[in-house]
Amino acid sequence: MRKEDTVKLISAEGFEFVIHKDAAMVSQTIRNMLTSPGSFAETEHGEVTFPEISTTILEKICKYFYWNLQFASGKETEFHIEPELTLELMMAANYLHT
Amino acid sequence: MEKESQLVRLCIEAACQSRESVEKWRRQRRSLERLPSQLADSLLRCLLARRLLFPSLLEIFKDNVEAVDLRHENSVDMEWMAYIGAFRYLRSLNIADCRRITSSALWAITGMTTLKELDLSRCMKVNDAGIRHILSISSLEKLCISETGLTADGVRLLSSLRNLSVLDLGGLPVTDQALNSLRVLTKLQYLDLWGSEISDQGASIFQVFPKLSFLNVAWTNLRKLPNLSSLECLDMSYCTIESILKGYGDKAPLTKLLVSGATFMDDAETLIYIETSFLSYLDISKSSLHRFSFLPCLKVLEHLDLSSSMMEDVLVEEITSIGANLRYLNLSKTRVGSAGVGVLAGHLPNLEILLLSHTSIDDVAISYISMMPSLKDIDLSSTHIKGIIHQVGCEMDPVLSLTSLQSLTHLERLNLEHTLVRDAALDTISSFHELTYLSLNGVSLTDISLHSTSSIPKLTNLTINNAVVTNLGLVSFKPPATLRMIDLQGCWLLTEDAIVSFSRSHPQIEVRHEHAHIIPSQHISSNRPSPSRSTWKNSQLNQEPKIPVSPSFIDQRLKYGREELLSLQYSSSSLASPHDSDITKRSIQ
Repeated sequence: MRKEDTVKLISAEGFEFVIHKDAAMVSQTIRNMLTSPGSFAETEHGEVTFPEISTTILEKICKYFYWNLQFASGKETEFHIEPELTLELMMAANYLHT
Repeated sequence: MEKESQLVRLCIEAACQSRESVEKWRRQRRSLERLPSQLADSLLRCLLARRLLFPSLLEIFKDNVEAVDLRHENSVDMEWMAYIGAFRYLRSLNIADCRRITSSALWAITGMTTLKELDLSRCMKVNDAGIRHILSISSLEKLCISETGLTADGVRLLSSLRNLSVLDLGGLPVTDQALNSLRVLTKLQYLDLWGSEISDQGASIFQVFPKLSFLNVAWTNLRKLPNLSSLECLDMSYCTIESILKGYGDKAPLTKLLVSGATFMDDAETLIYIETSFLSYLDISKSSLHRFSFLPCLKVLEHLDLSSSMMEDVLVEEITSIGANLRYLNLSKTRVGSAGVGVLAGHLPNLEILLLSHTSIDDVAISYISMMPSLKDIDLSSTHIKGIIHQVGCEMDPVLSLTSLQSLTHLERLNLEHTLVRDAALDTISSFHELTYLSLNGVSLTDISLHSTSSIPKLTNLTINNAVVTNLGLVSFKPPATLRMIDLQGCWLLTEDAIVSFSRSHPQIEVRHEHAHIIPSQHISSNRPSPSRSTWKNSQLNQEPKIPVSPSFIDQRLKYGREELLSLQYSSSSLASPHDSDITKRSIQ
């Protein structure tokens, strides 16, 4: 994977998740950050920091991005969510428009 | 409301999976405090729909929920209200048809000044004492208390709710005096007074509401309604009407008029005071009108209901001049026949819905109907339609009249119940490309009719009632791939075995018949994995409530031996999280 094709997502605790740009684009919010014409720092460095999202939740979000891509291409599997995570994940998903 | 994103939807479903999953998150107080209100509202709705909501669980929503809709929930009582009373941001509360709500239960919401909308419709135990609790909610803008136990004295008290713009008092004994005391409510836009005791003397009070745009006075003794300069929608159904909107000043910009079942003192003359340039919706069904000479003035009319009226073939011409805008035309139970439909043909270019049931029309009308190009929905039930025209005195084959409807490229619904249509007439039905709903009913229909529906490409709902459909016919029937519901009620030759075997081979189709047993959703959400699912993970964690379960359903624990189950468990453990294998272990025990 070339560096231009990846995006770095950073959690509240500073953990970095490097994922494919296509996967990150599943989130409308991230898509807007990466494609908006203004000179967002996010657009230039391919890095987005989420001070409100914990590492556990961000990891789950990244898994969801990849699951969504697979699902869109016709692979019907379940996306399991642990009940303990539902509230925080729901809020993060709401913020990320995903 | 903004549409929820897919992941939010998945989270809400996971959160409302079962009582156990609720227990896993309900103590996460800090997360709950931060939950945006639209997410909290969705979560609450989902819990209610899954029957997981109980009074003390409401407590976790007190800092976030803005709208609570508990309509038709029989369990809702004083205890529920006590928790709801503590909601800090509640804007809208709907407890219509909650029959255990009493006047004293409303004490809990006293002084909730965030509340703007309250619906108590048909809470029969709420009376004047209950209304006293509500009077402290001065913020109320919308109040629905139709068919509660209020008296005229209780209605009079409402005058202190000065912010009301919507007030539904339907079915309450509102008198002229009670209405008079509400004249201070100058923000009123919507007033429902059906079945009240108001009279012509009280009707002048309506003029003090400068913004009044909706008024329902159906089933009252009101005979003369004065001019109301802002009125847009008026319902005077089942009144004896002397005059409507007679008076000076600006004419009411009426868009919708319902006078179903009304008796007109001066026939069509009664309607002369109405401003016709905005009227788009007119319901004069079951009314006493004999003359329809006012119809040509209604240049923007889209919806016209003339069912059970005096409309007949010689009067149909009044409709043709306004046909260009019509979308909906109901001529059911009138004396309109094929000749009348012929007069209309070619004048209704935008008509989408045409209802002609219980009229004397026959197959001649069908060719006229096919000249109405935008039709989506046609009701020809209980008419003399045969579907076949036998040419008199010539040896040619009979003509299938329904074939001419093929030119209607938007046709989605067709009702041919209780007609003279027989099997042969349905030969060409498969060429109806957009048809989704088809209804047939009659003892002269057989398996052949059923089979001719096989190739209707988009059919989703099929009704064939009281027909001579046999077991063999049903079992050999190849339903269209799109079919979701088949109604075979009254097909008395069918046995339970045939119905069961049909539903087993077509689990996606809901079957309605006297022998069809509806499987309660409880069975499906029980802790049994469905055999159609591929892995433990899927079957355990996604129990869609709508998956039909065939009666041959067997428990996986019976289907597999203990050794096989253990090997299954290990094979999936690489994929599943610790939590999943936990569930797997539990179900083995």
